[in-house]
Amino acid sequence: MASEPKTITNSNIEDIFDSSLNLEETHFNDGYTQGYNDGQISGKDEGRQVGLKLGFQVGEELGFYKGCVDVWNSAIRVDPTRFSTRIQKSIKQMEDLIQKYPILEPENESVNEIMDSLRLKFRAICATLGVKLEYDGYPKSSVEVKDVGF
Amino acid sequence: MEGSLADELYSETLQLSNVKSDPTSIVDSKQSDSNDCDGDDLWHDDGSLWDGSSEELDKSSDLDREWQRRRNQFHTIGYRDGVIAGKEASAQEGFNVGFKESVLLGYNLGLVRGVTSVLACLPDGLIEKLVETQEKRNKFRCLHESVHSLSTTDALKLFHDEITTNKTVEQSENADSSSHSAGLQDHSSRCSLLGKYSEELQSILHESPAIEVHLALDQ
Repeated sequence: MASEPKTITNSNIEDIFDSSLNLEETHFNDGYTQGYNDGQISGKDEGRQVGLKLGFQVGEELGFYKGCVDVWNSAIRVDPTRFSTRIQKSIKQMEDLIQKYPILEPENESVNEIMDSLRLKFRAICATLGVKLEYDGYPKSSVEVKDVGF
Repeated sequence: MEGSLADELYSETLQLSNVKSDPTSIVDSKQSDSNDCDGDDLWHDDGSLWDGSSEELDKSSDLDREWQRRRNQFHTIGYRDGVIAGKEASAQEGFNVGFKESVLLGYNLGLVRGVTSVLACLPDGLIEKLVETQEKRNKFRCLHESVHSLSTTDALKLFHDEITTNKTVEQSENADSSSHSAGLQDHSSRCSLLGKYSEELQSILHESPAIEVHLALDQ
C-alpha cells in the first residue's frame, strides 16, 4: 500500500490516511482471525466442561427416577393391594415421562418441561407413600444444579 | 526551480513517507537527489551531515515504534473480539460433546441410587416378597449405604479425575509409557469405582428375579 509521495496533492494526502486506515483494519482483522481460532478451541473445551457436569447430573436424576419406578412397579406386581390406583397411575405417568425424555439430545426443547413434570410427580408419590427419597446432590431447585462444581 | 521549492517545503514529509513505504524508499531518495541540484547545498547548510542523519534516524525509529504500537493495539482489539466470537460459536458444540460423554454414566449411578433407595424404605412384608433371603437384602442395604454416602459432587469429581487422567495417560503414552504406569493403575481403579456400583447392582438383581429393572437404556 505504498503511496507515491513525489507530488503531494490533496488526494494524495487522503490516500495516506486511507492506507493507514486500511492497515488498521488489516491488523484488526489479523487479530480477529487469530482470536477466533483460539476462541473456538477454548470455547469448545469450556463448553465441554459444562456439558460433562450437567450431563452427569441430568443422567443421574433420570436414572434415579427410573430405578425408583422400576422397583415400585415390581412391588405393585407382587402385591398390588399396597398401592392405591391413584399412586399406580402416577407411577405409570412417571414411567412414560422417562421413556419420552430425549436423554441424548441436550438441545431438545422439551427436556426442561419433562424434567419439571417428573420432579412434581416424584414428590407427590413420595409424599403419598410417606417416604423421603433423596440423595446428596438431588436438585432441590434449578438454581442449585448450576452451583455444583468439580 | 518550482520542483525544488516543493522538494524543499515537503522534504521532511517526503523523508518520513519514504521510511514508511520501505521497499521504495531507497529508489525514491536517489531520484530526488539526482533531480535536485540544490539538494547538496541545502543539506550542508543545515549543519554537518552526521547530525542531520542521526536526527532522521531518531525520527524514523520513533515512527516505527508508533507504528508498531498502533499495529499491536489494533491487533489486540481484534484478537479480543475474535476470541469472544470464536467461543460463542463453539461453546454449544463442546457442551453437547461433554453432555453425551457423561449422561449415561450419571444415569447408571442414578439407577443404583433409585433401586436401592426405594428398596431401603419399603415396608416389612413387602420387601420380603421382592427379595427373598436376608443375605440378598443385606447386599442391597450395603450397596445403598455405600452409594448414598457418595454425593453427586464427589461422584462428579471422581468422574472428572478419571477423564483428566485418561487424557494425561493418552498424552504421556506417546512420550514415555513406562514412567506413568502408576498413573495408569490409579486410573483403572478409579474407573471401576463408579462402574462397580452398576456391576454390583446388576449381580444382585440377577439373583432377585422379582425385581424387574431395565438396566439398558433403550434409545
